[in-house]
Amino acid sequence: MNINRRVLLGSLALGATGVVPALAQDSKGLIVIITPSHDNPFFKAEADGADARARELGYETLILVHDDDANKQSELFDLAIARGAKAIILDNAGAEASVAPIQRAKDAGIPSFLIDREITQSGIAVSQIVSNNYQGAQLGAEEFVRLMGEEGEYVELLGKESDTNAGIRSAGYHDIIDQYPGLTMVAQQTANWSQTEAYAVMESMLQANPGIKGVISGNDTMAMGAWAALEAAGRTDVIVVGFDGSNDVRDSILAGGIKATVLQPAYAIAQMAVDQAHRYLTEGTTGLEEKQLVDCVLITPENASRLETFSLAS
Amino acid sequence: MIRTLLLCLSATALLTGCKIVQKAPQDGADAPASHVEQVVLDSYETQLLPHVSAAAVEFGTLRAALAGGLEAAGAAHGIQAAGGGAWNFLTRGEGMIVGGDRESRAATLDVDADGDGAGDLQIQIGPIVRGTALRDAAPFYVFTDFKDQIEFADLARALNSRATADLALPGGDLTGRSVAFEGAFALRSATDPILLVPTRLVLEDSE
Repeated sequence: MNINRRVLLGSLALGATGVVPALAQDSKGLIVIITPSHDNPFFKAEADGADARARELGYETLILVHDDDANKQSELFDLAIARGAKAIILDNAGAEASVAPIQRAKDAGIPSFLIDREITQSGIAVSQIVSNNYQGAQLGAEEFVRLMGEEGEYVELLGKESDTNAGIRSAGYHDIIDQYPGLTMVAQQTANWSQTEAYAVMESMLQANPGIKGVISGNDTMAMGAWAALEAAGRTDVIVVGFDGSNDVRDSILAGGIKATVLQPAYAIAQMAVDQAHRYLTEGTTGLEEKQLVDCVLITPENASRLETFSLAS
Repeated sequence: MIRTLLLCLSATALLTGCKIVQKAPQDGADAPASHVEQVVLDSYETQLLPHVSAAAVEFGTLRAALAGGLEAAGAAHGIQAAGGGAWNFLTRGEGMIVGGDRESRAATLDVDADGDGAGDLQIQIGPIVRGTALRDAAPFYVFTDFKDQIEFADLARALNSRATADLALPGGDLTGRSVAFEGAFALRSATDPILLVPTRLVLEDSE
């Protein structure tokens, strides 16, 4: 497989046409798509976006999930290598733990194209395309401040500590919110991106701080958990702002529940990754910097109806 | 895209030999500065200020270009990151301070640059400065060279802080004073307000 590809690339590089092997006519080869569990629709949207584009471009696909387990991810990389994948599209299971398997694939001649989450090193993956979480968090925080009327007590739900995105979103939130002396954070706790955990955390935070006026959440699943706890406690007056742009939160926004979220264009980012993989495989380069930031979009009642599966219709 | 690539290529060509060092240089307990602090120390005066001065477009020229649409103005005068998003511009100009907010932690001055009495841009004078325009308007600060988004965001904040720390403005109301400015701003739409991060801000008058 690899030899064939090199021959193909070599002949293209020499400008020889008409000698392309029959290989290209059937399938362009296998693209392996690895993400966290599809239980979170965000990751399913990534897999769907990558799968659709890869098939359009003539590749076979193999869709796998690592369940945020670095050992499982490592095994999936071995599988991709054994299957002779042309490229791997990955939303990884840990910024540090993912470096070794991606290097292993690289050594086997298989380029990796990362989406959503970064790894701690550059020069191993070909592309790392991530949402501009900092810009997105600032958008969400500006809307949160506006909704809060620039004053009152609030709590923050943090994502999983091992995930860079949890830290960067919190930093982006506070860069804005901390400018307003009238806003006071009375509790800040992780719910590990989990809806059920967020429900429990919200219940206890609400008991300890009944005076809160708002909740800013590191992602939408936690925002959904928090909103359910607030509803159960009869506190639908509390302002909740999330991050991701899920259909669940979209529906809640349209129903007057959660007030806002920030869309990460997961579907489009996954498609960009496949496009870059294709360009790399056919031209030998993506023509782009390895690490790329893609802007997020604020979702409010005004535009929520145009949101579907992590993609905003224009 | 192509232009971004060309910019990257030309920037690489210009800056060969002085590209920002990628790895955090120190991890010992006696580390003098973080990677980001070191980058700011190494580049702010020697690379960034000369780049802003060399690449700044007259504010009037830029506004006229923006009237023709953000994409065209961006392609002619701006720089955009590899993932797309905002266009970042460097500009210089003169005008009169017609208002502002010096009470806020994110203080601003409203400046009229075309003499009609209305503010055309807001100059951020800190201590809190919003946005990443100063970082993103310089082709030599590249996301790939930084460990993660947090470190890259820290760079933007550190550059903003350095820029406003260097401003020496008298206190009180500056309305009516003439000012010369140089700096960076970012736009996601041609109709967004212009929020400049100043690298140079000089009161010109006139007692």
